[in-house]
Amino acid sequence: MEAPVVDDRLLHQRVVGGDEAALGELYDRFAALIFGLAVRVTRDRAVAEDIAQEVFVTFWERPLAYDPERGSLRAWLATIAHRRAVDHVRAEERRKVSVLGPRVYERPGELEDTVLAADEATRVREAVATLPDALRAVIELAYYQGRTYRQVAEELAIPEGTAKSRIRLGLRKLAESLGGEQP
Amino acid sequence: MSLERLYLDALAETPEAPSSRARLLAAAGSRRRPAASVPAWASPYAGRVAAMDALLASAERWDQVVVEGWTLQELVAHLAAKDGLLADAIGAPVLGPPIGVNEALARTHELQDFERQRTPEQTRHSWRDQADAICAHLPGVDPDQVVAPGGTPFAIRDHLLARMLETWIHTDDAANLNGLRLPHPVAEHIHPTADFCARLVPWTMLLTGFDATSRTVRLTLTGPGGGDWHVPLDVSHVAAPYRGESADVTLTCDVVGFCFLLGGRGDGFTWDVEGDQSLAADLFTAAPALSGP
Repeated sequence: MEAPVVDDRLLHQRVVGGDEAALGELYDRFAALIFGLAVRVTRDRAVAEDIAQEVFVTFWERPLAYDPERGSLRAWLATIAHRRAVDHVRAEERRKVSVLGPRVYERPGELEDTVLAADEATRVREAVATLPDALRAVIELAYYQGRTYRQVAEELAIPEGTAKSRIRLGLRKLAESLGGEQP
Repeated sequence: MSLERLYLDALAETPEAPSSRARLLAAAGSRRRPAASVPAWASPYAGRVAAMDALLASAERWDQVVVEGWTLQELVAHLAAKDGLLADAIGAPVLGPPIGVNEALARTHELQDFERQRTPEQTRHSWRDQADAICAHLPGVDPDQVVAPGGTPFAIRDHLLARMLETWIHTDDAANLNGLRLPHPVAEHIHPTADFCARLVPWTMLLTGFDATSRTVRLTLTGPGGGDWHVPLDVSHVAAPYRGESADVTLTCDVVGFCFLLGGRGDGFTWDVEGDQSLAADLFTAAPALSGP
């Protein structure tokens, strides 16, 4: 059973106070998210594992760098993970450039990526709005607020199996209305 | 974000996060020590030691004056000095040079002279080692035994709360200087500290020279870790949980603000007063009487 959604502020207080169990809870709650994020950016499971561990250790070592007044713990950890993963990819690119030479190695276009992402976000938002209420509720929690299916189940007071099947169904409908992107 | 992300994150189906929880906890502990494992009555102290260590991990301004004309390094040496006197009183190892004079300021100056020859990181380590040496010794002591480090007699459990309060306040001092916001201790650590502070109130009145031995206070401390106390202002009585007694004055304030007031950090502090206003004013004046450097 995953740890229940707990208050970021309390988790932060406990980590500052050196409570190892709080770090364990933090890990149970966010490890899948952080690891998944690092895998998507680096496309390398071993590297992503190291990055994920480093994100949690960094938070443990310097917990006062995080200020709950300024945002959620989830967003904070995700930001560190993303930054580290991007740093890794850039370092790899530099390595490739120096091995292959700048003419042979072509850097992926970052601007293009950003535009595509923004465009996709708009299309997804429109597609989500057309979902039936029950599906829209789970997808909004999962997609926009980054909840896991267990957290969705808890927040909506529905069984986990129901949350899971609604997310699946919602995703299928979204994929259809987005023109056949089949996850 | 993509729909694929949802399969990864929301459904957490593939890929599974690697089962590296144990590896993480080991790596984390080697970068910043967790709170020492102690009997429950000493956990507020162990927690504040860990919090000070976290502050020191992020501190960059070691050579600037924090408080009392002391730099952060000298302040940490001061905490180690007072911890060392307590260690001596309970039979735990005393680290650093041997105690010359068993008095807080004298020992502070001894340790500050010693630590100024070392790096901030070394000072951080010896302070933490001294605190952990106390913690490691606690399972074998009777918390109700009275000892008098530096000449101040309290039960050992109250000495640990006094060390908690001082460590907390100085961590906050240092956080403010470094532009960091220190979160409060958890409620279970604040409550016994507030109780200790409530029991100190009659002593602050006595030490300040106010004659109020026949008077009583109801103290309502709000916020996580707070509570309601009945405080007779006679040192031969002990403050206890409020049970409907009548009082000359009722004071209501934030529990953390109250602890900091007793610890000599009363700037901007206010409380709601119901009843004898002049008694409340005397209590406010007397409150920091036991706070030393």
